Amino acid sequence: MSTNAAIIYVVDDDVSICRALGLLLKSNGFRVETFTNAQGFLSFKHPKLQSCLILDIRLPNINGFALQALMAQHGIITPIIFITGYGDIPMSVKAMQAGAIDFLPKPFTEKKILHAITLALSKSKVLNKEQTEVLKIKQRMNTLSPRELEVFHFVAQGMMNKNIASKRGTSLQTIKVHRGRVMQKMQAKTATELIDFAKKVGLTSSQV
Amino acid sequence: MKKKTILSQKNKAKDLSLKKKTQNNLAETVRLQTDELKIREGQLRQGADREKLGADREKLAEEQIHIRTKAMESTADGIFIIDAKKSDFPIIYANSSFFSLTGYSRSEVIGKSYFLLYGFNANLRIVEEIKQTLRLGKSFHGEMLRFKKNGEKYWCLLRIAPVRNVKGVITHYVGIKTDTTLMKQRDAEIQEQREELLHVTRVGKLAEFVSSLAHEISQPLTAILSYAQAGQRLLKDREPQLKEILQYIINDDQRAAEVIRRLRSLLKKNKPTFETLDINALTNDTATLIMPHITAKNKVIKLELGENLPMIQGDRIQLQQVLLNLISNSLEAMEDEKDSSDLLIRTSLKNADTIMVEVKDSGCGIPEENKPKLFSHFFTSKPDGLGMGLSISRSIVEAHGGHLEAENNPDRGATFYFTIPVHGNINQ
Repeated sequence: MSTNAAIIYVVDDDVSICRALGLLLKSNGFRVETFTNAQGFLSFKHPKLQSCLILDIRLPNINGFALQALMAQHGIITPIIFITGYGDIPMSVKAMQAGAIDFLPKPFTEKKILHAITLALSKSKVLNKEQTEVLKIKQRMNTLSPRELEVFHFVAQGMMNKNIASKRGTSLQTIKVHRGRVMQKMQAKTATELIDFAKKVGLTSSQV
Repeated sequence: MKKKTILSQKNKAKDLSLKKKTQNNLAETVRLQTDELKIREGQLRQGADREKLGADREKLAEEQIHIRTKAMESTADGIFIIDAKKSDFPIIYANSSFFSLTGYSRSEVIGKSYFLLYGFNANLRIVEEIKQTLRLGKSFHGEMLRFKKNGEKYWCLLRIAPVRNVKGVITHYVGIKTDTTLMKQRDAEIQEQREELLHVTRVGKLAEFVSSLAHEISQPLTAILSYAQAGQRLLKDREPQLKEILQYIINDDQRAAEVIRRLRSLLKKNKPTFETLDINALTNDTATLIMPHITAKNKVIKLELGENLPMIQGDRIQLQQVLLNLISNSLEAMEDEKDSSDLLIRTSLKNADTIMVEVKDSGCGIPEENKPKLFSHFFTSKPDGLGMGLSISRSIVEAHGGHLEAENNPDRGATFYFTIPVHGNINQ
C-alpha cells in the first residue's frame, strides 16, 4: 500500500495507548499524529492527505460521538475507526450507523487495526476526490454573474427555458444566451452534467 | 292544696303582726308577700323541670346505647363479651362480624365457653396462655393462626381486656378480633418485591463493577499488545529469539483479554424487559417498599403525583431500582441534619412526550467539588460506598431514552430528577 501519502490520527485519553499505537503504526510506515483529547485534534491543521482517525469513544469533555459531529462542522473529512474498552452491541451499531469504518473492542491485534486502516484510507481517497471536485465546481460557480447564477439554479431544478423566461419575465432568447454562458463557465458539456454539478454542491436538494 | 293552706295560715299570722305595728305599712306588706310568692312559684317550677330533665336523660342514655350497639354491629372487627364470673368463660354477646369471621352461628356461640371455639386444630399452648392471662385478670394481645368452623385458616389479631365494676371486681372480658390475613399477604408480597429488587441491585452492581474493571484493564492490555507488535515489526528479520519472546507477550495479553471478555459476557446485564407502566403506581409501590426504612429514620416522605399522566414503556424493576437508589441517597443526605425530615417525590409531565420524576430532599446538598464526578463509576462520598448507585441509575435511565440530573435546591438539600419519554426509547 502507498503509505507515504497517508496520515493516521489517534485520539485516546490514555497516553500509553497513544504511544503504543503510534509506535505500531509508524513501524508500518505510516505518518501518525496522536492526541489525548478531542480539542487537540480539532485545532490541528489537517494536511490534504489520505487520512483516517482511530478514535476512543470514552473521552473526557467531548466523547468520540460528539467529536464525530464536531468534525463535520469543522469541515474535517476523514473516515473513523472507533475503539473502546466498553464495547457492547448497541454501541457498535450506533457507531456504524454514524458512518464509522469499523468498531474495535480493546485490545485489538495489529492485523485487525491494519485491515480497518486499509479500508478507511481507500474511503478517504474517494472522499478527498469528491471534495476536490466540489471545490472545483464551487470555484467555477464563483465566476457566474448574479443573473447566470439564478439561471443555473432554475436549470438545476430541471426547468425548461420557456418556463424560466416566463418566470423571469424576459424573452426566451435572453435565457438561451444566459444558459449558454452558464454551460461554458461551468465547463459542462451537457445539461445532465450541469445538473450533476448542482447535485454535488447540494444545490438541487436545498431548492426542492 | 296542702301548700295553699300553709300559705294562707302564714299570711294570716303576718297580717296580724303587721296590723299591730302600723296600718300604713300595707304597701310594704303587699310587696313582701308578692316576693315570697314569686320565690315559692320558682321553687315549684324547678321541681317540674327536674322531672322533665330525668326523662330527657333517660332518652339520651337510650340513644347512646343504641349508637354504641350499632357501632359495634357495623365494625369489621369481631367483638365479644365474656362473663368473667363463670369458670367456663361463656360468651354473652358477640357482634355479627364475629359470626362471619369465625363461621359459627349465634346459637353455637352465645352461652358457650369461649375456649370451645378454638377447636382441635388450635395451638394448645396459645389457648392455655390466653386462659392463664384471663385468670390473672390481665389483658391479652397477640396474633395467631386460627381456623374457621369450616377449617379455613385465617390470621387473627386478638385483644382481650377485663371489665371491672365500681368495686374493682372483674365482671366481664371484652375481646376484639381482627382478620389480618390480607395484611399479612400484602406484607409478604412487599417483602418479596424488596428482596427481588435487592437481588437485582446486587447483580447490577457486580455487573457494573466488572464492566468498569474490564475497561480499566483493557487499556493497558491494548497498549502492551501494540508495543509488542510494534517491537516485532521493528525487529524485522533480526533477533529471532527476542521476536519469539514478544510473541509470548502477545499471546498472554490476548489470553488476559479473553478472560475479561468471558467474565463480561457472564455478567452481561439483563436486557431490560419493557412493559407499559403507570409511573404513579410505580412511585407509590416504591415508596411503600422503603416506608419502614423511612419511618425508622424519623423522616417523612411526601408524594406529589401528577394527574392524568400518560403511560410509559419501561422496565419496572430497573426503574424502581433508580427511584430506590435516589430515595436512599436522599435519606443519607438528611441523616445528620436533625431538623430536616421532608423528602418529596413528584411526578409530572415535562412536555407532551416526556414524564419527569423528581426526588427532592432537605439534606446537606451536593458539594460543588463533587458535582462533575457525581455520576462517574467508583465515585462516592460515603465511607462504605462503592460508587456504583448513581452511575447504574444513569445508565438505566439512558437505556430508557431519558436523562438523570441533579441540582442543589435554592434553600437547602438537593433534587435529583430523571425524564422518561412517553413513547419509549426509539432505539429499542
